[in-house]
Formats: sequence, structure tokens, C-alpha cells
Amino acid sequence: MSAHGITRAAQRADRLPRRRAVNRLMEALAALSALLAIALLSLLVYSVARRGAAQLDLDLLTKGPAGAFSFTPTASGFANAFAGSLVLVVLATAMALPVGILTALYLTEFARPATRGVVSLGLDVLNGVPAIVVGIFVFGLLVVGRGQSGFAGAFALACLMLPLVARATMEVLALVPASLREASLALGVPPWRTTLGIVLPQAVGGIVTGTTLAVARVAGETAPLLFTSSLVGSGVSWNPQHALQSVPVAIFEASEQADPTLHAQAWAAATVLLAFILVTSLAARALAARSRRRIATSR
Amino acid sequence: MRKMGIVALAALAVAALAGTAAALASKQDSTTISGAGSTFVAPLVAQWTQPLSQAYGFELQYSGIGSGGGIAAITSRTVDFGASDAPLSPDQFAACKDCAQIPWALSATSVIYNLDGVKSLLHMNGSVLARIFMGSITKWSDPAIRKLNPGVVLPDEAISIVHRSDNSGTTYNFTDYLASVSTQWKSKYGTGVAVDWPTGSGGRGSSGVAALVAQTPGAIGYVDVAYTLQNHLKYFTMRNRSGRYTTPGLKGILAAASSDQKPAKDNSLSIVDPPKKYAAAYPISTFTYVIVPLETSKAAELRKFLFWAVTKGQAYGPRLLFQPIPKPVLVVAEQTIKRIHPSA
Amino acid sequence: MSAVEAPFEPARRPLSGRRVRVGDRALELVTASAATAALVLVALIAWKLVAGALPSLDRFGIGFIWRVAWDPTVSKLYGAGSFLFGTAVTSLAALALAAPLALGIALYLTELAPPFLRGPVTALVETLAAVPSVVIGLWGILVLGPALRDHVEPVLHRTLGFLPLFGAPNAASSSFFTAIVVLAIMILPIVSSVSRELFLSVPRELKEGALALGTTRWEMIRGVVFPYARGGIAAALILGLGRAVGEAIAVTQVIGGGVAVHANLFATGDTLASKIAASYQGATSDLEIGSLVYLALILMAFSLLVNLSAQLIVRRISRRGPA
Repeated sequence: MSAHGITRAAQRADRLPRRRAVNRLMEALAALSALLAIALLSLLVYSVARRGAAQLDLDLLTKGPAGAFSFTPTASGFANAFAGSLVLVVLATAMALPVGILTALYLTEFARPATRGVVSLGLDVLNGVPAIVVGIFVFGLLVVGRGQSGFAGAFALACLMLPLVARATMEVLALVPASLREASLALGVPPWRTTLGIVLPQAVGGIVTGTTLAVARVAGETAPLLFTSSLVGSGVSWNPQHALQSVPVAIFEASEQADPTLHAQAWAAATVLLAFILVTSLAARALAARSRRRIATSR
Repeated sequence: MRKMGIVALAALAVAALAGTAAALASKQDSTTISGAGSTFVAPLVAQWTQPLSQAYGFELQYSGIGSGGGIAAITSRTVDFGASDAPLSPDQFAACKDCAQIPWALSATSVIYNLDGVKSLLHMNGSVLARIFMGSITKWSDPAIRKLNPGVVLPDEAISIVHRSDNSGTTYNFTDYLASVSTQWKSKYGTGVAVDWPTGSGGRGSSGVAALVAQTPGAIGYVDVAYTLQNHLKYFTMRNRSGRYTTPGLKGILAAASSDQKPAKDNSLSIVDPPKKYAAAYPISTFTYVIVPLETSKAAELRKFLFWAVTKGQAYGPRLLFQPIPKPVLVVAEQTIKRIHPSA
Repeated sequence: MSAVEAPFEPARRPLSGRRVRVGDRALELVTASAATAALVLVALIAWKLVAGALPSLDRFGIGFIWRVAWDPTVSKLYGAGSFLFGTAVTSLAALALAAPLALGIALYLTELAPPFLRGPVTALVETLAAVPSVVIGLWGILVLGPALRDHVEPVLHRTLGFLPLFGAPNAASSSFFTAIVVLAIMILPIVSSVSRELFLSVPRELKEGALALGTTRWEMIRGVVFPYARGGIAAALILGLGRAVGEAIAVTQVIGGGVAVHANLFATGDTLASKIAASYQGATSDLEIGSLVYLALILMAFSLLVNLSAQLIVRRISRRGPA
């Protein structure tokens, strides 16, 4: 509808009641969509939480799974999965965070436009690789001939985290005012010290937020771990040299079993996972909003 | 806020380093024997974990990922042993580089179904079953099924096929049976760990199939008999060559096993659809194999484990409908186990 | 406020000694080598995929892409045809289901919602994006699938059964249909949040101008917001499509693993990503493994195309900034 068309439509006062009706209909539809989305999310979370709450007790975190097969399923837990997930996520963050921050520093401080374009493209491509493909890649790279391990699993997760951390750091580095840099350089502080000692600390809030969001994302990833860290025993292990169980993989395996008690535990584990991810995502976003507000008002 | 962030990052770094150091410093478990593969044999292997640990101090880790997964895992030496119900092909032997397959358990594949309103176990024979799985028979009320079950009121419900979605030795056993009772199946779909199923939904692992059948009214699937017991599923009594309808119990399995007591050169045995004279045989029985590299750093542990498994371990079987392996097969198994030697 | 600042020219500053220069060079070197990590990873992924797919590439060539076959036993023929079909059907149908809802939500949040509602509802929708796919898959297998099978599919079959799309319902709860609904739930938040930022970036003067001329709110949206945001909406849809195409876990849990190609949405099927997730671990022959990696190669190429073009457009739009 061109501007001319809008004006003409607007001037047709005799069609006003119909136009108002159409407008109300569209507004209602839009409101309905929003309602549907809220209903959907609430239904999903409620559905998971209701089924999970029944089995939600400390056993989930402290007891390992029962043996692979039994005629009388005994109540047990997902202790090995929670321990493994913790190790995997911490290791993945340890791998991705430094590389991500340094990459972002390079892109904002040193790179020529051409190089920046190429590296940025590389990050975007990495971000677009489906998680299952990352899983196959890391399997071929680190698992074949060597065996599965927590390191391989963490590496796969780190590949997914890297673009997220790098991009978040880049965005927040760009927010640091030029005046801060220039003042520091004018005082005779060498450029590298300015970057590390003045600019980077200003960006820490954004880096923490970006990392938290990346952690929330990979905490729930199953595909990268399927081939790299899934052949596990039922005992709790903290050793990343062997394959470690993880919560998403445990839920995945339990979801396709016939045993209803296993289903119930899967719901409980899903509730804990969901709660963790939701809380971290919301907290990260709240922090981000707060620091953005602070930077905006400090100008 | 900035200080908090820096502290958080520093804490994370310290935690990561400390955790890794602690984990690496912890004693490397040389007495963990890891295996993966067949979900068919998983119930039995699960029973072995505790007694094995008491007898030798081993920690046995087994992941049921399907026979195909077991062959793949042992070929890439991701695990210490693989388990498969399907014997290795010459190509797979070559890829595995000096592996041996050893028959270590014996059980049967039951054909399960989910049909409300029918109390007793239904009869089934091979050719009708093949036609069902080929998609030519689609309803429970089909005359062919009614003919096998006179006097039973069968509802006009659609049959839903459930098969394995992963590469499965149970599929191998089942399709081996279908191929031997139906030439059409043999030429179109053949015998393998995965076939070009004309119809149906795929379940992951034996428990996946059991779960799908339990949740789908009118479904027919195939699964190791231990899972049938565990999930209280109904199964068909299958007609064997002598005309009797047999159940996948210990007697039927034992009778089937007596039809082939001489392992081939690669140690494989075929006891599917045994000849008429084995009147009590259940026609969809199978041996299942453990696949080990003959040269391995864990030779001593594997030998102890496997000797125990084929002798004392068999005692844990009958409760789960695993028949202890017959003596002639045991002899061959032990001879093969003796060939496992440490790497130089 | 600029997006990314121009890099500094250390040479312009009077340097007070060699130590300073060394520090600068050292930092540049360290960060440069970290920055190559992403490029190295991408190159490695591409190399591993092509190398891994070679057995199948050699044997089947390009014809693999449209062959509908996956028979490891009798004919030993493999092809990506049925999985491409499955990926296309599930992703496009999920997009068709989710797009109107997502645009409606975005419109509601930017134009119609009272200010006190905007924050919480936005947070709620973005939270849906954070739900892990395995949890949605679990819910899909145990709750959604049976509910669809028992209540929705029979109704659709009865009313719209003349269309081959809505053929005989499946007694098993896994089917294309369940997968489509699951995917729609997963892509809803992405499409909606990108569209929301898009609508926020429409210059206020244009919108107020139209309203001042007497148009209703809907006419203003139709006449000003949509045309302005057209390119961006396309990007949002493409991003959603990319998400749906790459999803392996939730889909493999609910789609049922069929290979044949049929029009019936209630039948089982498979997609590129979910086939890889289901079969890769158990593949034993070189040809089968190679074929699965070939599937991954196709998937990677597809998702790359989709994600890159969408990210390009999104980046260009967000640089315009909010109104």
C-alpha cells in the first residue's frame, strides 16, 4: 500500500466503520498470538514441572542410575549425569572463554577491515554449523582411535560456545567509549596496557553476560555429546579423561525407554535442567539490561 | 559489578584448573572394562556387574547402543569389547583388524504385540508374519490371522509395525527368520542389521521398541524376550517347522540351540527356523557374540572376564530367559578366549 | 554511537621505549592466533566432512542427493532423497505454522501491548528459546505426540482427509506431524524476537505520519511497517528455517524413522539431521558411514547457506539501530 493509497484510504470517511472493524480484528489476532505463545510456554513449563515435581528429591542428585536392566526398577537418580554435566560445561567454558575474548580483542583492536571481515565470517559460519555436525566432526577428530572422553565432549561444546562468547565480547568492547582509550593513551599508558587494563575490565560485565548465555545454551545440548561422551557407566565420575554422562544425554536415553520410573526421573532431571537454564538466561538478560542502562546514562 | 565479574571469571578459571588437575591426578582406572553394543544381551551383562566386581575387582561398564554400534565401537577401539547378535561379515572382520567373535549367550527374539480385548496369547506363523511386515496384511481382522487363531475375536484394528531404528542384531535375527520362511522377503529385504523397512515406526534400542509397542494400540514389534517379560508385553506363539506353536522360553531356546552345535570357522552359529526334528524349538532363537581384539593391552582382564562370563556368568541367565550355552559351544568359546594375548 | 571502532594506529603515538613495542606486538600476536581458531575450526570441519564422505562420494557422486534409497542389506544403495524431502517438508511446514504466530506476537509487543506488559511478555517469549531441544523432545514423545494422535489427527483426517496431506492417522504417536509441531514451537521465539527488533527499528516519524493522516493502526502497520521491514522479515523467516533444518535431537525423538517418501503428514519419516543422530553411532560399513557423512555435508551446506544469508541481513538491519 503506497503512501498515496494510505492517504486516500484514510480520507474515505464513509468506510470508517469497516476500517475500524478490520483494525479491531487484526489487533485481536495479534493479541491472540501473543496469548497463544504465552499459553504454549506456560503449558510446556508447567507440563514438565508437574511431572518432574513428583520425582524431584535429593536422590536425583545423589544416587546414580540403577543397573541397565532390572525387573524391579528401584528408585535411583541421575547423579552421574549432573556431575558429568558440571565438569563438561566448566571445561567447555575454560576452553572457549579465553579464545573468545582474545578473538574479540583482535577484531576490535587490531584487525584491518579485510581481516575483520574474514574472521567475522568464520565466526558466523561456525555459529551456523548444526550441533550434530559438530558432534560428528569432533568424533572424527578426537574420538576415533582414542576413545570417548570428557575432553572431547567439552571441546565439542566449546566449538558451539566460541562464536557466542566472541560476539558478545565484541559488542560490549564496542560500547566502551573512545574517550576512555584516548585519555589513557594521552597519559602515556602503552596501547597494550590500555587494552588489557582499561578497556577490557570495562567489558567484563558484558563478557560475563555473554558467557552465561552461552553456558545456558550448551548446558542443554545433546547432539555434540552423543558421539563424544556417551558410553558411560552408572557410577559418578569427575574424570574428563573418560566419557562422562551428561543431563541432556541422560534425558535423551531415558525418553526412549519403556520404563515409566525412568520417564519420571527424566521429567525430574528435565525440570532441574530447565530451571537452571531459565534462571541463568533471565539473570544474564537482567544483568545485560542493567549494565546497558548504566553505560547509557554514564555518557 | 565489574569487580564481581572479574571475581567470577577468576573463580571459574581456578575451578576449571583445580578440577582438571584433581581429575587427572585421580588414579587411572586400569580395572575398568568398557563395552558397548547389543541391547539384546544388555540385561544379562547388567547382572554381571556386581558379581564380577566382587570376584575380580573389575568395574564393568556396558552401554547398550545396538549391535552395529558395538561393532563400530570395537573397530575404532573406543571400547575394550563389543557385543553383537549379528555375526561379523568378512568386511567387518577385516576392518576390525584381528578381532575374534565368541558366542557368549543364547536367547530368543519374541514377536510382541499390543492388542486390547484379546486375553490369550495369539498364534502366528512365519509366512503370515512376513506378509505383515511387508505391508500386505494391514488389519488384525485379516483372514490369514483369523485362520491361525480360530475362536478368537480379532478387532478390525490397523496393524502398526514397530522395528528398530538403529543397526540391530535383533533385527538381524528377526530378518534372518523372515528370510528363511519367505522367499519374497529374502529377495526384497534380505537379512541384515538394518533393512529397507517398507512400513512402520522405528524405536531406538530394544527398550525403544518395547516402549513404542506398549504405547501404540495395534502394534507388532520384535524384541529380546527379556524386555517382553520386563514390560509385561504380549507375544505370539510361533509355529515351528514341526507344526507346534512354541513360546520363547528356555525349553524352546534349548531345542533350537541343539540344531547347530558346531560353530563355523568364524565362530558363528545359525539356529533360526530349525528343521522339523527339533519339535520343541522356538524358531527365532539366536546366539549372541562378544567381539574382542586378539591383541589388547587389557588381555589379562578380558580373559578373566570372558572365562567367567561363559561359565559362572551363565547362571544369571535363566531368570532372564537366557539359556546357558551348550557344552560344545563353550569349548570353542574357551579355545578362542585363550588366544587373547597382551600387546607386545 | 558507532558499532565497531576503527583499530588504533600505534605507530602514530610517540613510543617511549622498546618494551612498549614488544608488549603491543605480543598482544597482537596472541589475539591474532586466537582469532585464527574460528577459521581453523571451520576449515577442519569442511575437510573432515569431505574426507569422511569420500567412500560415498566416489561410489554415488552427485546422484546421491536426490536418490530415494537407504538399503544397507540387499541393494546397498544409499541416497539423501527421502531425508531432503523430510527436512524440506518439516522445516517449511513448521515455518508456515510458526511465522504468522511469531509475526503476530512481534506486532503485539511493539504496537499494541500496554507498556507494562511488554517487558514480561518479551522475556517469556525469549525464555521459550532457551528450552533445550531434548526437553521439548521428551515432552513431544510422552505428551504432545499422544495428544495429537488422539485428539487432533482424527479430526484433521475427518475434515480435510480428501487432501493426501491428511491421510490415515498413525497409531504410533511419531510422525511428520508431531515433528512439525515440535519444530514450530522451537522456531517461534527466534522469528518473533528478530521480527520484534525489526518492527522497533521502523522510524517513528513514518509511523506517526501515517497515523496523523487518519489511518487505523492496522492500516499503518500494513502500509508502513511491513513494507519497511520486508527484507528483515525475510531474514527472520530464513533464520527460523535454519534452526528447524539443523535440529536433530527433538526431531529424531518424535519422527519415527521412516525412509519412504509420501504425502501423508501422519506417516513416519526422517530428516537429514535426525537420520544422522539415529544411525551414525551404529554404522559399520565404510559405505554407510560415508553416506551418513555425505548427509552431514549436505546438511552443513544447506544450513550454512540459510544461516549466513539470514545473519547478513539481520546484521545490516540491527546496525540501523532502534528508532
